[in-house]
Amino acid sequence: MRQAAPPLTLTRRQALSTCGGFGMVGLAALLAKRSVLRAAAPANPFTPKPPHFEPKAKHVIFLVMNGGMSQVDTFDPKPMLDKHHGKPMPGGNPKTERKTGNLMKSPFRFRKFGQSGIEVSEIFPHIGERIDDICVLRSMHTDIPNHEPSLFMLNCGENLVRRPSLGSWLLYGLGTENQNLPGYIVMCPGTPVVGSPLWNSSFLPAVYQGTYIPNNETDPRKMIRFLQSEDPKPAGQRRQLDLLKRLNRLHIEERHGDSQLEATIQSMEVAFRMQTEAPDAFDLSQESEKTRARYGEGDFARGCLMARRLVERGVRMVQIYFGDKQPWDNHDDIMVHQKLARQADPAVAALLDDLKSRGLLDETLIIFGGEFGRTPAVEVSSRVKVQNGRDHNPFGFSMWLAGGGVKGGMAYGATDDFGFKAAEKPMHVHDLHATILHLLGFDHTRLTYHYSGRDFRLTDVHGEVVKEILA
Amino acid sequence: MAKRHLFFLACLLPTFSPGVSTASPADPVEFYKSTVRPLLAERCYTCHTDARMAGLRVDGREALLKGGQSGPAIVPGRADESLLIRAVSHTHKSLKMPPDGRLSDEQIESLKTWITDGAHFDIDSTAAPPETGPSDPVWTAEQREFWAFQPIRTVTVPAVRNRAWPSLAIDYFVLAKLEEKGMQPAPPADKRTLLRRVTYDLIGLPPSPEDYEAFSNEESPEAFEKVVERLLDSPLYGERWGRHWLDVARYAEEDAMGLGPDPFPNSFRYRDWVVAAFNQDMPYDLFVKAQIAGDLLEDESETKLKPGLGLLGLGPWYYKIVEPPKARADELHDRIDVLSRGFLGLTVACARCHDHKYDPISTRDYYALGGVLTSTEYKEYPLAKPDVVAAYDKHKQKIDDLEKAAAQLLEDEAKTLGFRLAKESARYLFAAWRVASGRGTAEAIARQENLDKETLERWGVYLNSPKEHFYLDWWNEIGPDADLAKVRLYAERFQAFVDDLVQEQKEIEEHNRRVIEEHKKSTDPYDLFCVGCNAVTKALERDKYMLWTELFEAKMETNGKDKKRGVLFYSDESIERFLLDKTKADLEEKRSELESLKKSLPERYPFLHIIADKKEPQDMRRHVRGDPYSLGEVVPRRFLSIFGDKERFQQGSGRLRLAGQIASAENPLTARVLVNRVWHHHFGHGLVRSPGNFGQVGDRPSHPELLDYLAGRFIDSGWSVKQLHREILLSSTYRMSSKHSEPNFQVDPENRWLWRANRRRLDVEALRDSMLFVTAELDVTAGGPAFEWEDGPKRRTLYGTVSRYRLERLLALFDFPDPAATADLREVTNTPLQRLFFLNSELITDRSRALAARLAKEAGDDPEARIRRAYRILFGRSPGAEELQLAQGFLAEMNGQQPWRQLAQVLLSSNEFVFVD
Repeated sequence: MRQAAPPLTLTRRQALSTCGGFGMVGLAALLAKRSVLRAAAPANPFTPKPPHFEPKAKHVIFLVMNGGMSQVDTFDPKPMLDKHHGKPMPGGNPKTERKTGNLMKSPFRFRKFGQSGIEVSEIFPHIGERIDDICVLRSMHTDIPNHEPSLFMLNCGENLVRRPSLGSWLLYGLGTENQNLPGYIVMCPGTPVVGSPLWNSSFLPAVYQGTYIPNNETDPRKMIRFLQSEDPKPAGQRRQLDLLKRLNRLHIEERHGDSQLEATIQSMEVAFRMQTEAPDAFDLSQESEKTRARYGEGDFARGCLMARRLVERGVRMVQIYFGDKQPWDNHDDIMVHQKLARQADPAVAALLDDLKSRGLLDETLIIFGGEFGRTPAVEVSSRVKVQNGRDHNPFGFSMWLAGGGVKGGMAYGATDDFGFKAAEKPMHVHDLHATILHLLGFDHTRLTYHYSGRDFRLTDVHGEVVKEILA
Repeated sequence: MAKRHLFFLACLLPTFSPGVSTASPADPVEFYKSTVRPLLAERCYTCHTDARMAGLRVDGREALLKGGQSGPAIVPGRADESLLIRAVSHTHKSLKMPPDGRLSDEQIESLKTWITDGAHFDIDSTAAPPETGPSDPVWTAEQREFWAFQPIRTVTVPAVRNRAWPSLAIDYFVLAKLEEKGMQPAPPADKRTLLRRVTYDLIGLPPSPEDYEAFSNEESPEAFEKVVERLLDSPLYGERWGRHWLDVARYAEEDAMGLGPDPFPNSFRYRDWVVAAFNQDMPYDLFVKAQIAGDLLEDESETKLKPGLGLLGLGPWYYKIVEPPKARADELHDRIDVLSRGFLGLTVACARCHDHKYDPISTRDYYALGGVLTSTEYKEYPLAKPDVVAAYDKHKQKIDDLEKAAAQLLEDEAKTLGFRLAKESARYLFAAWRVASGRGTAEAIARQENLDKETLERWGVYLNSPKEHFYLDWWNEIGPDADLAKVRLYAERFQAFVDDLVQEQKEIEEHNRRVIEEHKKSTDPYDLFCVGCNAVTKALERDKYMLWTELFEAKMETNGKDKKRGVLFYSDESIERFLLDKTKADLEEKRSELESLKKSLPERYPFLHIIADKKEPQDMRRHVRGDPYSLGEVVPRRFLSIFGDKERFQQGSGRLRLAGQIASAENPLTARVLVNRVWHHHFGHGLVRSPGNFGQVGDRPSHPELLDYLAGRFIDSGWSVKQLHREILLSSTYRMSSKHSEPNFQVDPENRWLWRANRRRLDVEALRDSMLFVTAELDVTAGGPAFEWEDGPKRRTLYGTVSRYRLERLLALFDFPDPAATADLREVTNTPLQRLFFLNSELITDRSRALAARLAKEAGDDPEARIRRAYRILFGRSPGAEELQLAQGFLAEMNGQQPWRQLAQVLLSSNEFVFVD
């Protein structure tokens, strides 16, 4: 039976040289080798596996400001925008999703934080205070000014056609440390635009898809499907499992210790332990009042606190969507950013503090940002009722990274004078992916999976590791 | 991607001096897209695109260079010499365009800037395609001689030493290989194992105890053959094998569409057609043709072949998600992928951006097929008489219109009422202050002042809550002891402000209405995709808008859930007491008419989600490096060049011809690919282990002669899939046991050479269906709309909703393939989350309870009899002594804690239940 493939199958380069240069013999040999590898692959697809080289980060926490966070109101101050407020953008506005008008300054003030003196908007004071641990990426860009393609790009490295998500690649490449918890957990109080395809495994084995958890659910026993029975928990479950094990043993004895039969026996034991371990991880009542207060109120804060608890327990990747649908999509009124930031700011700061004090920040990569940025020009299309908001902007936006082998107190790249387009050291989402994979110990061109006639990778044929931001 | 490079170039261009709007734009193409195109679209497209008034089109560079009856329209680099500029600035003696009013100076300035800069376009849809594009590559001898492109050979059955073992031809091929490798075939499986295997293979369910008994009692040599015939005749067969095909067809009932699923309400007609095709043993070549060109084939009934086109009609559609060229390009990618991998085992989609790296497939091949598909369009094809369709549509339209009218009436009334109440703001504010300062209850003061009590209360709540503007800041500053005159003054000033606000908003709305109306005339494809996105409207400034919305609107919160009603906004029931009797009666009438119309609305007539040829089929232009904005030469529609037939398609889109070329005995791949898929499902692996890739990087057939033998027989049998099953199932090869053999294992650990049967885990459909089957709960109603999972019906899993937006988690948990792309095969995984299903799912606890009840009913009170019965039902055998003892011990131990339910759960979770030998 076909098991999960080992991470390092035939690479594109190998295949190319074999097909192009040496003809069939080499390729057949390679394929044969791959088949053997497949047969010998460990029965447990989550067994921790070493990456290509010594990793800086072992875990990832990906905080998605879904809807698209504006850069010029958060992490990318633009004095020229203040100066030209109300005037047209010289040369016209690039085409975004909808019609935009004159330039609009940020209603928020920026100030310098930390030793590095990096400027952050007043709506993120707590994050600002931790700026010396943060690397702000000010020259991000992506391809398309619509949510769906850009969410796909951010998560799966492709605009529309289904591809495996970043978390699925990580699980496939690295396995996970704690076998009693899912290795890739996705939280959202509801559903972001596009929904579960954002954490799907596409052509990677289904086992690598993200496990969705509604973080607006407060009962820790209900977060993972089938974690607890609907019925009162049968007192005899342990005895049931003992009987099952004995029967399965009798069955397997006649079948020469078949490895797949053996694997199900093992994974049943893991599942049994998961029933107690997982609710424990999600149970925030175990945290002190004081700790909970530091994270603040709301689903996102609860998610951040849970993320810390999960990473402490060895979960490979946790992703938190800020809210249902697309809260940061403020076409009408950019002032809404302030309300959202009020929830995000203390939670993220507390998460950074907790990881740092536990020595986990060094091995945990935090990623913060949305699927694209917003225009420095005000939106004037007939879709808005009040002209105080910004349209989607794929040409330039900000994200930030912290921990996990990234330099702190650094701002990388820049947008143009008004914050519209990435101008200095443009960094495409593919480059971000290449860099993330690098931090986790992978050469992004060699983490591949053979499917439909070729080797696929997260970065397709793109992506450059941005070395400058590596600590 | 070419797009990205362009982008970087744009960034490197010198920046401009801010504030000077006529300066050269940094990126002329962007400038065209953002400023010039919308302007041309708004003012010129109506007459100067396809209509070509005076011979002129303005939607492409070459067309403008060529110009119309008056000569070239532009001279790039020289705006003042350009006829276009003279016409629009009305400096030409006779040409003054547009006829409905001169452009603004600013607009004319933009056109000049654009022409001065060289009149750049992003795509020139009017450019003549280059005379000669890259020609088709010449395939090398090595490429042409690749095994998969060779004709299916007539093969002779090889000689073997052990002449006793083979029963059918395929056994000779298998045994010859084994002997060559020095291996022995495994002994035959016992009857029980064989029956269980073949039953799962053909109908996806286990045998019943009666089936086991009948088969074990039947001594005749034809016993197994009879079983195979019985199963092939069962309607359950088509459900099993139809599902295998639906994996390839990436079948789904819901598309993913941003904020939610977008259902295909009649998709089940394709699913049911597939099931029926297998049950009726529709010749596979016809099955293929129907899915490509079912509408173009001779067809005695509309439902015989047309529903097959669901393969193309039910693919993922992206047109609501992203601008049209990109959406269309990705839809095309999907269609080519499903056709080529699904039918031919070729990965043609790889050639979207560049020639295939490994296989003889060029980008021209991709766009040659692309032209066929882009010459078609989505169509909902009604399966009812035209008058029925027309009657339904008319009826439905009435309902929609009336619903709209009722809503409009309410909205108008709400507005009128809001404005009327706003006119009394000062009185309400003053009264609210009196209430707030303890001078009386709202009720008393409302009565006194002849005000509406609810409105007064609403003002009270509103005034004392935080606001998003400063117009009412004074409210917090005046105390209960304030001077009455001062309060009155503030209140009156506020009212005056609100009066102005209402006036201002009315003017804005009127202006916007005109703009939007005008904008609707646009023919720009982007405007059709993103309606209103390019219409520039006016709006109140933010603070004013905040007040406006707090007073007059049913404002949606950002989470889309809570409605925060404006103070003066009344709707639905709350507005009724304000309505005039006449209005009330009008509304009532509309509502009751609506209700009766809704009641009398028949079910919507059935229809198919399929495709049809466009009126004017067209060859497609190659997307250079896969970029839909970078168009290369026109590629004539034709089949893949490696197959030799380069004749271009002339008739319609060319689908009929394409279907014929794929579903042809001459095509070396179609039969091989299908035969291999069938083999895959019977043995757990194909002879080619990459069922969707027969190319260079795919697997090589382990038994090439066998593959050709079966493919040849398959074609000769009239493409009968059922005959193919027989050919395989009655062989000694199929009937081997899965028994381990150490010497064989040393030589061939993967069982590539078929020395035994492969042990397989049940897939999710077989697993769920079996659980319902052994408890005698399975509802085998066939066909029809998919069930909702939450309703927990007991129908076969095949009939559960498959969504591309949110795949049912039970399916996802057990390796169901992503329904957004054609699936070659299902990976089989084993994870703790799957085991949790056996521990805690409602499905298993309910089935355990039902199984326990069935045992009690069928085997009486004797525990041993019940245990024996359980083993019969689940495994078709008696329990061994140790098994019996273990079960009895468990029951004793669990006494008083639903012991039978718990035992049933253990047995349903056991490997023997979940795996097939």
